[in-house]
Amino acid sequence: MTGVLPNSAGRELSNPPSDGISNLRFSNHSDNLLVSSWDRTVRLYDASANVLRGEFFHGGPVLDCCFHDDSSGFSACVDNTVRRYVFSSGKEDILGRHDAPVCCVEYSYAAGQVITGSWDKTLKCWDPRGASGQERALVGAYPQPERVYSISLVGHRLVVATAGRHVNVYDLRNMSQPEQKRESSLKHQTRCVRCYPNGTGFALSSVEGRVAMEFFDLSEAGQAKKYAFKCHRKSEAGRDTVYPVNAIAFHPVYGTFATGGCDGYVNVWDGNNKKRLYQYTKYPTSIAALSFSRDGRLLAVASSYTFEEGDRPHEPDAIFVRSINEVEVKPKPRVCPAP
Amino acid sequence: MIWDEVGESEAERDKMLLELERECLEVYRRKVDQANRCRAQLRQAIADNEAELATICSAMGERPVHIRQSDQNSGRLKEELAAIIPQLEEMRKRKCDRRNQFLEVLEQIQRISNEICKSTDYNSSKIVVDETDLSMRKFEELHRQLHALQKEKSDRLKQVLDHLSTLNSLCLVLGMDFKQTINEVHPSLNDSEGTKNISDDTIERMDSAIQKLLEVKIKRMRRLQDLATTMLELWNLMDTPIGEQQIFQNVTCKIAASEQEITEPNILSEEFINYVEEEVSKLEDLKASKMKELVLKKRSEMEEICRRTHMVAEIDNGMEYAIEAIESGAVDPACILEQIELQIAKVKEEAFSRKEILEKVEKWLAACEEESWLEEYNRDENRYNAGRGAHLTLKRAEKARAVVNKLPAMIDALGTKVRTWERERGIEFLYDGVRLLSMLEEYNILRQEKEQERKRQRDQKKLQGQLIAEQEALFGSKPSPSKPQSGKKGPRMSIGGANGRRLSLGGAMLQTPKPDLPHPAKLTPHLRPSKKGGLLSHHQDDSCVALSAGRRGLDIAGLPVKKHSFNAANSHEIESPMTRKPFSPLSAAMLPKVNPNFLEDLNKVQGGTMQKTLPNSNTPLATPSKLACVTDEDNRTPKEKMPIPMPTTPSTISVSMQTATTPAPAIATVLFGANKIEDNRTPKEKMPIPVPTTPSTISVPMQTATTPAPAIATVLFGADKIEEMHEEVEYSFEERRAGFVIPKTHVISVVQV
Repeated sequence: MTGVLPNSAGRELSNPPSDGISNLRFSNHSDNLLVSSWDRTVRLYDASANVLRGEFFHGGPVLDCCFHDDSSGFSACVDNTVRRYVFSSGKEDILGRHDAPVCCVEYSYAAGQVITGSWDKTLKCWDPRGASGQERALVGAYPQPERVYSISLVGHRLVVATAGRHVNVYDLRNMSQPEQKRESSLKHQTRCVRCYPNGTGFALSSVEGRVAMEFFDLSEAGQAKKYAFKCHRKSEAGRDTVYPVNAIAFHPVYGTFATGGCDGYVNVWDGNNKKRLYQYTKYPTSIAALSFSRDGRLLAVASSYTFEEGDRPHEPDAIFVRSINEVEVKPKPRVCPAP
Repeated sequence: MIWDEVGESEAERDKMLLELERECLEVYRRKVDQANRCRAQLRQAIADNEAELATICSAMGERPVHIRQSDQNSGRLKEELAAIIPQLEEMRKRKCDRRNQFLEVLEQIQRISNEICKSTDYNSSKIVVDETDLSMRKFEELHRQLHALQKEKSDRLKQVLDHLSTLNSLCLVLGMDFKQTINEVHPSLNDSEGTKNISDDTIERMDSAIQKLLEVKIKRMRRLQDLATTMLELWNLMDTPIGEQQIFQNVTCKIAASEQEITEPNILSEEFINYVEEEVSKLEDLKASKMKELVLKKRSEMEEICRRTHMVAEIDNGMEYAIEAIESGAVDPACILEQIELQIAKVKEEAFSRKEILEKVEKWLAACEEESWLEEYNRDENRYNAGRGAHLTLKRAEKARAVVNKLPAMIDALGTKVRTWERERGIEFLYDGVRLLSMLEEYNILRQEKEQERKRQRDQKKLQGQLIAEQEALFGSKPSPSKPQSGKKGPRMSIGGANGRRLSLGGAMLQTPKPDLPHPAKLTPHLRPSKKGGLLSHHQDDSCVALSAGRRGLDIAGLPVKKHSFNAANSHEIESPMTRKPFSPLSAAMLPKVNPNFLEDLNKVQGGTMQKTLPNSNTPLATPSKLACVTDEDNRTPKEKMPIPMPTTPSTISVSMQTATTPAPAIATVLFGANKIEDNRTPKEKMPIPVPTTPSTISVPMQTATTPAPAIATVLFGADKIEEMHEEVEYSFEERRAGFVIPKTHVISVVQV
């Protein structure tokens, strides 16, 4: 595969996971990259040095992972557990359990809590300082209308997207009630939700090649700004093929964002100006996850079959780290701080 | 006294006295004469002086003022003389000065004229000053002459310099030695500091030198341009790489330049021209070696032209031979190339003459294509169903019909054109080797056949209609004549339609229509045998309406009982004339009242249009508010009608029929239940399927027996369960991959990978 895709796709990391990549994230402090995979591992790479720093084995496929700080991280596993890893020592704690596979995990620096979403239709908050006994680590469990599919954090805001196209917006300081209960403005299953870095709203993608840009501000003026656009589609010989949009990643500096779809493309968008800024060359298979590094200079792209067509032979899973040119992510007509 | 003494005689005395007297007189006379002479001399001197003065004055062009004065006071000659002498001196001095000036000017004049024309003797060689005319006028005249000469000299100098620079540039361009060239003209010209020879002769020689060089230049330029042209041709012929061409860019770009434009140093030098010549000859050599390729290239060019104009190239065998000949060196390739070029020209000419007809042929062929498309389209039963792009096809059909109507006229016109052409040239018009006229005839025959076929079909249809009418009279029911056809067509269309379907890899929702559709299609044929009885339409309609209702996604709607009665009600209604509204738009299905029509649509619309509408009908599913209103309506209608149909619904019969005759759908549901997880489809869309196939409770045992999935069974038991099912059916890719199944009331299966 490296031969097929030379530098245009970015540098491919060596020792990629042996099965589907569920998520990857850059650290907020370094160019370390945490990758969770269906091969039951969480891997820690140094993206700039292209070195595998660590590998942590789980009882089941890992659906999500995130950094705590540069020395430790969390993972969400199909075996219902939420785990904490200390990278240097390889020490592992089970932070707690859900009643069903845990599909997403986030760490809030603002609240100092780990938030996990599970298919058991609950959201749980954990205190990572708590000892391995799950009762002590658990801060609270909050029922959701449906199985949680994707969550995203910005400041004290937490957006939870579930099956059935529900979207709940929470304030981490008051988790008893959702601050807003919404319905996805897209008509199809939600794939991914990500908050704007400036904290004014969130982007939500669906399985049907669409991304909605929504705003927290409930006033009429605020809601007037929301819109959705089609992407990751292919029209060929009169047949439209629509691909799921699996991943959204916001650029930490410019507030533009990249989307990745099952068509293998990564597009960069300027949400403010409603413009596509860039499209990278096609990757060998679906884009499972995307992450910008802390300074926005690197973009990690997980090219990994996301099982959208069931079990079938597919390209090997790979992680590409590409250096980002400013032109590719900088809003064009006027410089805007963020969407 | 002395005489007394001496005693001289008186005579003597007298004589002596007389002598004395005479002598005295003589002296006196002499003195007077002397005085007279002196005066005359004086006068002469004065006159002389005056005359000289006058001469000088006149020579100098000045008026002698003093002459009159001397005339007046003639008394004092000496004074006069004294006065006149200084004047004369003065004048003489002035004259001398003047003469010197003259001399000087004249000398200059002579020098310049000497310079100007060495050979021609101007009035010079030695200076002669005309003493008589030293007037200012003359002097000025001389000055003018001098000035003129000076001017001429500077002009000539300039001219010489001009010539020199021209010569220089020429020499530069021609690559000749400038110094040597001008030395040949005149050695002094070479001297950059010293004076240059500017004589007529030199200038003339320079002129001729320039002329000579110009001629050389033009000659060389022609040669170079010829070379460049050849070179370009050769390049063109042999696809010489740009890099190689770049070297001679300066040559080729001057190919059309005039003499003045060529200024680049050395571009016309002997060596450079030789260099270019060498390159050209190199290319020529190359060309000779590549001649074979060239011949082939030319040939393919010709073939291309032939292909474009649908002519048959008749050169092949000759060409093969020619190539062999070239290989063996027996024939001059250039000669063959020429031949081919000639042929190409000929072919081009012919192509031109064929152009008009060919255009017509194109049009005709396009029309034929359109005709065949139209035929295909007319055969398509679903053509009027609204769907994506349907308006476009309609438009196309309209256009196609217009074109088809014009076809006969087109053929006629084409035929006459071809005939004229053939007459004019005395050869047959071949289109890809086939005579166009025969093609046209063939087409005409085909057309007639088609016409007959169509007529036959019409007759048959009429006959069929009669037959049905008779049947109707016999049985009292009115099955639509198109029904059997639609039943037959259904499956085929749905399969065909699946291809044109909007394909969504991940969008499981969009994909579901495919598996759905065959079921109703299969259903109908299965039911058809039962039609023999009077109840036939009941069954069919019954199940189909149920299907349609279910398909509309009445997820929350309807207890099965209710639904069933509702269906029954509708099926009852079907007996009314409402039965046939074949082409009602699909969207009407959203209104429960129009349900019966939906049956038709279902049967017919299984192609591409279906998948479009399905997602639409799914939409209300997702938005509960809308859904509520739909279900409301649905529920209301049956309620109103419930009392009527209940007794008359032949539910038991139909059910037994179904269990007996429709094993296929049942299996389908079972399969579906089993595959539910690994399949991409979300059950949401599938739910409708079991509903119609099991319209009554009687079939339940069978299904429960064969269906292991408890979820399916629950469908049949209550609306609540259905509702739940609908909520749970959505799975993300990850859930599907993990094999995650929603833990339901009893079964919890978390499959671990």
